[in-house]
Amino acid sequence: MARMVVACVSSHLRKTGDGAKTFIIFLCHLLRGLHTITDKEQDSLISKNIQTHRRHWKNCCQWKFISQALLTFQTQILDYIMDHYLSKHFLSVFSSSTKERTLCRSSLELLLEAYFCGRVGRNNHSFISQLMCNYFFKSMACESGFEEVFDLVDDYFVELNVGVTGLPVSDSRIIAGLVLHRDFSVYCPADGDIRIVIVTETIQPLFSTSGSEFILNSEAQFHTSQFWIMEKTKAIMKHLQSQNVKLLLSSVKQPDLVIYYAGLNGISVVECLSPEEVSLIQRIIGLSPFVLAQASSQYEICNTALVKFCKPLILRSKRYVHLGLISTCSFIPHCIVLCGPVQGLVEQHQDALHGAFKMLRQLFKDLDLNYMTRTSDQNHTSSPPTYKTSRESNPLPEIVSGLIQRPYQGTVVKNKGKLAKTQTYLKVYSNLVVPNVELETCIPYSTPKVTPTDTYQTDETLRCLPPTKTRIIDDSEPFIESNSANSIAENTGIEISYENLQVTKIARKGSMLPVREKSLEMCTSQSYCCSTLPAGCVLPVGGNFEILLHYYLLNHARKCQQSEETIVSMIIANALLGVPKILYKSKKGKYSFPQIYVRTLHALQTSQPMVSSQTGLESVAGKYQLLTSVLQCLTKILTIDLVINIKRQPQEMYDQDSEEEV
Amino acid sequence: MSRLEAKKPSSCKSEPLTSERVRATLCVLKGILTSSYGPSGRLKQVHNGLGGCVCTTSHSSALLSNLPVTHPILKILTTSMQNHVSCFSDCGLFTAILCCNLIENLQRTGLTPTTVIKLNQQLLRLCTSYLKSESCGCRILVDFSRPQTLLCLVRSIVTSKPASMLTREETDHISALVLRAFLLTIPDNAKDRLILGKSIIVPLKGQRVLDSSVFPGILLEMSEVQLMKILPIKKSDAFKVALFCASLSGDLSDTGEGTVVVSSRVSLENAALEQLLNLGRQLVSDHVDLVMCQKVIHPSLKQFLHMHRVIAVDRVGVAVMEPLSKVTGTPPIGSLGSISPSSYGSVKDLCPAKFGFKHFLHLIPNEATICSLLLCSRNDTAWDELKLTCQTALHALQLTIKEPSVLLGGGCTETHLAAYIRHKICNEPESILKDDGCTQTELQLITEAFCSALESVAGSLEHDGGEVLTDMKYGHFWSTQAESPSVVNWPDLLSRCGCGLYNSQEELHWSFLKTTRHPFAPQTCLPHEATGSANNLTLDCFTAKLSGLQVAVETANLILDLSYIIEDKN
Repeated sequence: MARMVVACVSSHLRKTGDGAKTFIIFLCHLLRGLHTITDKEQDSLISKNIQTHRRHWKNCCQWKFISQALLTFQTQILDYIMDHYLSKHFLSVFSSSTKERTLCRSSLELLLEAYFCGRVGRNNHSFISQLMCNYFFKSMACESGFEEVFDLVDDYFVELNVGVTGLPVSDSRIIAGLVLHRDFSVYCPADGDIRIVIVTETIQPLFSTSGSEFILNSEAQFHTSQFWIMEKTKAIMKHLQSQNVKLLLSSVKQPDLVIYYAGLNGISVVECLSPEEVSLIQRIIGLSPFVLAQASSQYEICNTALVKFCKPLILRSKRYVHLGLISTCSFIPHCIVLCGPVQGLVEQHQDALHGAFKMLRQLFKDLDLNYMTRTSDQNHTSSPPTYKTSRESNPLPEIVSGLIQRPYQGTVVKNKGKLAKTQTYLKVYSNLVVPNVELETCIPYSTPKVTPTDTYQTDETLRCLPPTKTRIIDDSEPFIESNSANSIAENTGIEISYENLQVTKIARKGSMLPVREKSLEMCTSQSYCCSTLPAGCVLPVGGNFEILLHYYLLNHARKCQQSEETIVSMIIANALLGVPKILYKSKKGKYSFPQIYVRTLHALQTSQPMVSSQTGLESVAGKYQLLTSVLQCLTKILTIDLVINIKRQPQEMYDQDSEEEV
Repeated sequence: MSRLEAKKPSSCKSEPLTSERVRATLCVLKGILTSSYGPSGRLKQVHNGLGGCVCTTSHSSALLSNLPVTHPILKILTTSMQNHVSCFSDCGLFTAILCCNLIENLQRTGLTPTTVIKLNQQLLRLCTSYLKSESCGCRILVDFSRPQTLLCLVRSIVTSKPASMLTREETDHISALVLRAFLLTIPDNAKDRLILGKSIIVPLKGQRVLDSSVFPGILLEMSEVQLMKILPIKKSDAFKVALFCASLSGDLSDTGEGTVVVSSRVSLENAALEQLLNLGRQLVSDHVDLVMCQKVIHPSLKQFLHMHRVIAVDRVGVAVMEPLSKVTGTPPIGSLGSISPSSYGSVKDLCPAKFGFKHFLHLIPNEATICSLLLCSRNDTAWDELKLTCQTALHALQLTIKEPSVLLGGGCTETHLAAYIRHKICNEPESILKDDGCTQTELQLITEAFCSALESVAGSLEHDGGEVLTDMKYGHFWSTQAESPSVVNWPDLLSRCGCGLYNSQEELHWSFLKTTRHPFAPQTCLPHEATGSANNLTLDCFTAKLSGLQVAVETANLILDLSYIIEDKN
């Protein structure tokens, strides 16, 4: 079980680079909260003479329902609250004065400072965050291209930094250009017009290529063929020289002969580049590898690029290749030289920096994409008209539950769960923006009531949401588009598949409602609207996000009619408080947790601006991601009823895990 | 066969520094390091009870790499120091002792790590900015027109390694040799970028240290028989050299991934040999005098070359290839085909040489930055230590050329720095306190811990039971002979300060290092004539010491910041 949690945490970390500790704390509080709730319910609902074994199974069923309720919460209520209530508290890292989005350096600094606070020793966290900030601003070519910069740095982080041990951390610096982690095979000092080529195969022709045969009939033939090889190599190098090529980057090891002729022709050679390095260089300067077949002919080699300089760089008596690439994209190549007295410290700083880039990437990019699906659910779920809908359609679940009750003779708990589920259906139904024919055919008795309110609701939502933020899309096309276009929006996929999973599960159980479930699937995939929150949303650190969400969730729970939803909201709201509680644990007096909590709540009720005792910012996208990841992990835990230990087959265990994830 | 063992659970210890065991081991480590520090430091003999070689040393890199350290905290400390030494060669013990002292002193203050680290960092910043500033009173700018300063630097390094077992005369000899070797690696016509050459240390054990010497060019060791074959060398004004990095053994090169079919009549060996002999003919017709190959030369080719009175030397190894190509002034040849005449290099002279029982072929270059330092010593351990010492000194000289300043040695820099910081903190604490939430008392506690850590590094130079003192004008370090009378006239007992810059006959006031004294402003800005006239100063490498100071403080901060140790015991 713990292993699964760890797997969940690390997958979350891979994606966002932030929030591992909060993940655990939050999950822990959620589980505790659930425990107390289920204990209470057990006492009240289950008669005492039921044997423990049976109770165990009961528990499992109950947990499963809770987990489904959690999913519902995650996909619907959470997003709604995020959009409607929380968003007014968000700050942005962009300075808003101008029409163009410009990054505000000071807020970025605050953000990074807060991020590194927990990751790098007190010794040098401010130094590292300054370094990172400088790096970012130095390597950004223009204001608009920062997304590309993040992508590139995140993908090629290993290639873009050099670790040096034995020097004080304060010697870390940023150097312009790209540093390759190896030395020149041949170095010929050159200046002026330096052109480079990339090769991916040996320049010297070989006797035979794979799949072919080379037949030697005489010694003379051997001599001539060797002579030909030599002359050919010589010719290629001469040709390169005539094209002003001064540097040869090779992804393979070149034979001695090539190195020799390169040296004779004044061409420096760097061999054995890793595929990552090659692709990084290709991305920066947009240069494709040089194909040898072209070289034989006399016309110009087109696959060359200019570099500003190319020289050896000596760091702690180790030699590196230092290239001044001229960038064709929005990333101006810079490298971070990270120094530290011990290897472990350097690695820790590297990881922290990498995590920070992930966090920023998330902050500036994924938020609006994720939001598409999120907001889509919100519009219909719980805005005021929806309450009306659910209230109005209340007779339906009753009928349905009645229907279920008959064949199953299930316990009250089960019924409750079913109830929750049917309510879910209803909600999903009410998602339909456009009156649906299918819907009418499914539940003829309730449609007349539901449909009009639904249409009304959409109008309402349209009016509710700020016009600049919202676009309502009323058919399936945009959804498909968004799904295919945004390959990064993994979440979308997961959420949907979960929902579908849930649906099909039920389909198997309740065979009496086949039509409805089918239409339900259709509905979920059709009725997506989207509202975009601007990228770069941040909140002050110190549990602000948690307290805010807690407050609004409680409010929501109070308004809420269904007990299941209320319970889930309450559990999550209370668990959220666990994080700030721990944050303020060591503080006393004015800054102790209860004080802060009361002050914030007061400020919220009277709608005053919030006061924050701490400087530093954190990403909202990251927090949101964290919350959903935790909820997903929790549902996964809750749906497992039995852990079977099998020995010496870890591989199989993993397979099962991955199946569950899909 | 692998044996399956039950997995042990990981261990997690909190507040590792408070444990008695850690303190005790840290203390032992500090004891080992302190007692080896300085010219009068005690030697350590590191050996394995099961046999094997015995290492007698006081050099930090040899000591730290041989010590078996198990506790994670000590491991951090020793690896950090080893990394420092591998970067700078010098000041390893200084760094390690300072780090131990800092940990010990700061722990004793009992303040929270946050405050300690923050203030420590501030004090370090104060130190580095002072050491780099113009007004620094313990830094001397190196005047390259006067080699005296550099010689002092080398001599200080050589004397501080007592395990090389040198007499005074030998010390002077070795220091002069090292400096000469270094000067030979500086190119004559330096352009905008100075590329230093290399001095190759050639071992010659069993000879007197005074027999050591320096030669321009390269000494290639070979057996007497080989050398006799080469002789006599015909005389000419310059020797044409062909330097090969490709193998001349006649094996086939890479034939690619496909198959090569050879019919039975064809002998590839003969073909390859024929190619080699063709090459030989070309070499002869080009009047090459010396053929050297990194790898093996085919015996037939060797024979052929010998017949034509061309000297052939093979298996020189990859290590000397770069110096060889510098000496001959040509990149190595990688082709067996036609060689362009421009690929040949040349040497000025070529002569056999015999030192002790070893025979060498000496390549004398026309002009090159390569020299050979022939190091002699009577026994193996002393030779190892001597070699380390010479490498350290050469490295220190290289660092000095990059950053042309040196620091006063003999403990004076440490005491001077401590005095400066004490004074600064006492007079203007606001500069540090302004942005942190620390109180003045905290600052004073940390300053005291920091300065006394620095001073006790200086104090550990004294091993013979003498008193250690500091003067109240320059803040320099002074030490007395052991068993001095209790009530004395200090100027008579003391002669010169640690670095040798000042003598005791000036009107100075002294105070014991251990006692508390009133903060005073040490005199900054060294008088120029003082540094110029003094011939026998003890000096330290600036870059190495500065970085050592930073690494020591950073490592101490890192260790103080640890609150848990989680160890996988499997």
